[in-house]
Amino acid sequence: MRVYQVPVHTRLWLATALIACSLPQLLLGPVWQSVLLAVVVVIRWLVDHQRMRLPGRIVRGVLMVTAVGMTWYSFGRIYGPEAGVALLVSLFALKYLEMVQQRDAYVVIVLGYFVCATALLFERGPGMFLFVLLCMLLLTACLVGINHSDTRASAFSHLKTGGVMLLQAIPVTLVLFLLVPRVAPLWNMQLDSGKARTGMSDSISPGDISDLSESSELAFRVAFQGEMPPPSERYWRGLTLSHYDGRTWQQAMPRGMAVDSYLYNGRGTPPDWYNRLQEQGAQQASYSYQLIMEPTQRRWLFALAVPMLEQGDASLARDMRLVARAPLSQRTAYTITSFPGLSAAIPLSVQEQDLMLSLPRDSFGRRARGLAQQWRLNSDSDRQIVSLALRHFREQPFHYTLKPPPLTADPIDEFLFRTQRGFCEHYASSFTFLMRAAGVPARVVVGYQGGEQNTLGSHLLVRQYDAHAWAEVWLQGQGWVRVDPTAAVAPERIELGLRGSLQGDAEEQGALAGLESFAAGGLLGRLQLWADYVDFRWQTWVLGYDNQFQLQVLRRLLGDVTPLRVAVSLIVAITLLLGVYMLVLLRQSGKLQQTLLEREFWRVHQRLERHTGQSLPAGLSPEGLARAVEVQTPKAGPVARQWAGYYQQLLYNPGFGAGKAQIRHLRRLRNRLYKLLD
Amino acid sequence: MRLPAPLRDLYERWLSRRLPRSGRVVLNQKRIFIFPTGYGFFYLLVASLLFIGGINYENNLILALSFLLASLFLVAILHTYRNLSGLGIRNGDSESGFSGASGALEVILFPERRNHLCLWLYWQGQSAQQVSVTGGEESSLWLNMPLTERGRVMAPRLKVESRFPLGLLRTWSYVSLDHYCLAWPQPQEWAECPADGGDEHSQQVPTGRAGNDEFQGLREYSPGDSLRRIDWKGYAAGKGLNTKLFEEPAGGRLWLRWDRLEGMGDEQRLSILCHWILTLDQQQLPYGLVLPGITLTPDTGDVHRWRTLDALACYPEFD
Repeated sequence: MRVYQVPVHTRLWLATALIACSLPQLLLGPVWQSVLLAVVVVIRWLVDHQRMRLPGRIVRGVLMVTAVGMTWYSFGRIYGPEAGVALLVSLFALKYLEMVQQRDAYVVIVLGYFVCATALLFERGPGMFLFVLLCMLLLTACLVGINHSDTRASAFSHLKTGGVMLLQAIPVTLVLFLLVPRVAPLWNMQLDSGKARTGMSDSISPGDISDLSESSELAFRVAFQGEMPPPSERYWRGLTLSHYDGRTWQQAMPRGMAVDSYLYNGRGTPPDWYNRLQEQGAQQASYSYQLIMEPTQRRWLFALAVPMLEQGDASLARDMRLVARAPLSQRTAYTITSFPGLSAAIPLSVQEQDLMLSLPRDSFGRRARGLAQQWRLNSDSDRQIVSLALRHFREQPFHYTLKPPPLTADPIDEFLFRTQRGFCEHYASSFTFLMRAAGVPARVVVGYQGGEQNTLGSHLLVRQYDAHAWAEVWLQGQGWVRVDPTAAVAPERIELGLRGSLQGDAEEQGALAGLESFAAGGLLGRLQLWADYVDFRWQTWVLGYDNQFQLQVLRRLLGDVTPLRVAVSLIVAITLLLGVYMLVLLRQSGKLQQTLLEREFWRVHQRLERHTGQSLPAGLSPEGLARAVEVQTPKAGPVARQWAGYYQQLLYNPGFGAGKAQIRHLRRLRNRLYKLLD
Repeated sequence: MRLPAPLRDLYERWLSRRLPRSGRVVLNQKRIFIFPTGYGFFYLLVASLLFIGGINYENNLILALSFLLASLFLVAILHTYRNLSGLGIRNGDSESGFSGASGALEVILFPERRNHLCLWLYWQGQSAQQVSVTGGEESSLWLNMPLTERGRVMAPRLKVESRFPLGLLRTWSYVSLDHYCLAWPQPQEWAECPADGGDEHSQQVPTGRAGNDEFQGLREYSPGDSLRRIDWKGYAAGKGLNTKLFEEPAGGRLWLRWDRLEGMGDEQRLSILCHWILTLDQQQLPYGLVLPGITLTPDTGDVHRWRTLDALACYPEFD
């Protein structure tokens, strides 16, 4: 069998494209894939250079079976996103080995497109897209190469042709991206990016949040439409924790309450509390914003108090927080309007009250219970109890620190009366315990507080170290009211954020050193600002360009959005673009490329014109040129004549052999002539 | 793919009306056709699969990739077209042959303004030849052509095809060059020499001896002289290229005559004349040819043989 030879000038591109397209998967996937690819590239190289025969069907079959087996071994299956992609990349490499016809080369290139697409499944940053564009350039160059059958073609011309075509294709792509209607998914495919991330868990025990505070990973971004709340009001509620066992706070549902009356997903009959929210919401002041969540693998979202969902797929829970339909495995955007004053609208049922007053066994927090009883006796209202408790935190020598001493047997009493050094979760937990002990319904809320503003995009960036815990108490007439005991101990934590509040503290510097912030200043800070801005815009404009956003944009562009209008504008825009290309392409290269000798001649011609300052007759022969030189500068005459003679010999004497050496000699003569002309 | 006969006829007539014969053609949008290749359709299929994937995974970047593939295809239409557009094609030389064998036509490709890469040229039934026109220079190409019957065989419709640069689209044009190849009659053996003059023309020939001419001298070679009369020994000795001159052959001048083959069909007459031209040429006897409408005076040599054969091929219309 005759083996198809990839044109020599294309081999390099094909091998490069193979490696580049597989690279994202090789970096993520198991090592054997890189080994397989290396083996394939080496074998193909040897085959192309006639150092060995193309491995027969049996060897290729064995390689194929090995690849499938290794996929099974690494992933435990051969379907599913990760295993499927690994298999695809192996196939891609094996097909490259197997190129015996031109058709196979086409198949390799097309597989390359698929591999590029799978890389975008797992990573959607602007950097990855740029890398995929680079792969596209290589693949297009390969396509040009395998269609260029001249053996003398230069490898770089393929890259150039491919590059020009790709550049011309990009505006057309933009038009298509903007105008082609986004269809709803035909069938549902949820992809698990499988990346374990730091983030909030659904329970909280001492130390959980201070662990989070060591990470500067992005938690979510918020882009406000209109007014932004002041820093001290930026409490992003994630979870409410109402069951306490003495160590750990956990989520709990009031006994006997049905899930569909607790969680409303916008379909079916809304529960009463939802109707009340709707009724009263209209008159309230509100903040509108877009929340762009990073993947958390969890369902809950983070929003300001009493969020009403405008756009996105999530439910509203009775405890005033949003819950996504499925765990967030990728960045997702939600449009939300929050009504801070609406919390009074939700009543407290009897079962709820029971839960919000429940305490762990008596052995926990004996002294705390006593303190709470004392407050209860000394005050007339729940509100007064709250202020007594806050005063207690303010006046006792409590200290806000990232590195609290460990609490072993009885966290509440040990913290309140012995160590008195703690992080927000200690304050929130002990405060809530005290409230319950004093008979005030209370719960712990975890989420994030604050956020850093990116001045370029004027959006807020909330990082893991902004994680926070605080408390909510139920007050008659006001509903659930936020109380942040940490603010009583360390008000600067709320105003300035974690970094700001611990800045001056030498003890905490070690922990702070690794935390990123734009405020870090200098060039790095500016770069981070920009990188975040690009990432944010990429998220909102490119990744977030869904059918709703598209509708908005089209409405602005076209006025009324009808299918006919969209179709017509799509066709018109593409026709216009292609028309412009056509004009440019067909007009281009009106003058043919000059040969080497012609160029030599015109150089001297132009030089002489510049020297004399007047134009020479058009149809001048080399000898005529030499004569003109002689008239102008007699001393240059002999060299000019020598140049002309040599030139004519080169051009007209076939026996002269116009090789590189001769051309070089002609150039030397020209340079000598130039010197004499100066 | 073959179309049914009536449709094919209709198509042929439409083509010849659209692309009339000419000696020089520059390809323009009137003449250029373009259509995706199999790979092109495959590529579009892949682009639509990626589109569906992008929709289903709600991944705008995969969608963008599928749009990029589609856009690249659109741009490729322009580039593929451009590779053929502005290509000039004109008549070159021709090489005659006996009918039943094959001749060849030279086709000259010249660029109007840009390079044309990887063009394939062929006509029905012949294998394609590949050529690139670069650097503003003409390229010429000899294309074989089967000669089925005697006479002027017009150039079949030439197909110029290109898939450059991406191979996703095929652009092609049909060129009907006003160019022909002469097909000489097939020689038919005939015992009697249809010639006047000489002595015993009919007996003299089978001996196979050339008319024992007397060597007269040398003169400088001029193109068209028979190669068999060149003084090769002298050439080898460095005396230059000379042609040996002989006295008038003993048999005298022979006139091959159309009239002497009365009562036969035209083609048979021509075939017999052809046979005798070749025979006499081989024996290096000077011969002339008289056909209705043309008379070629006796001579010898390759050029003369070609001239007489061409006359036979052209019969009954001479230029």
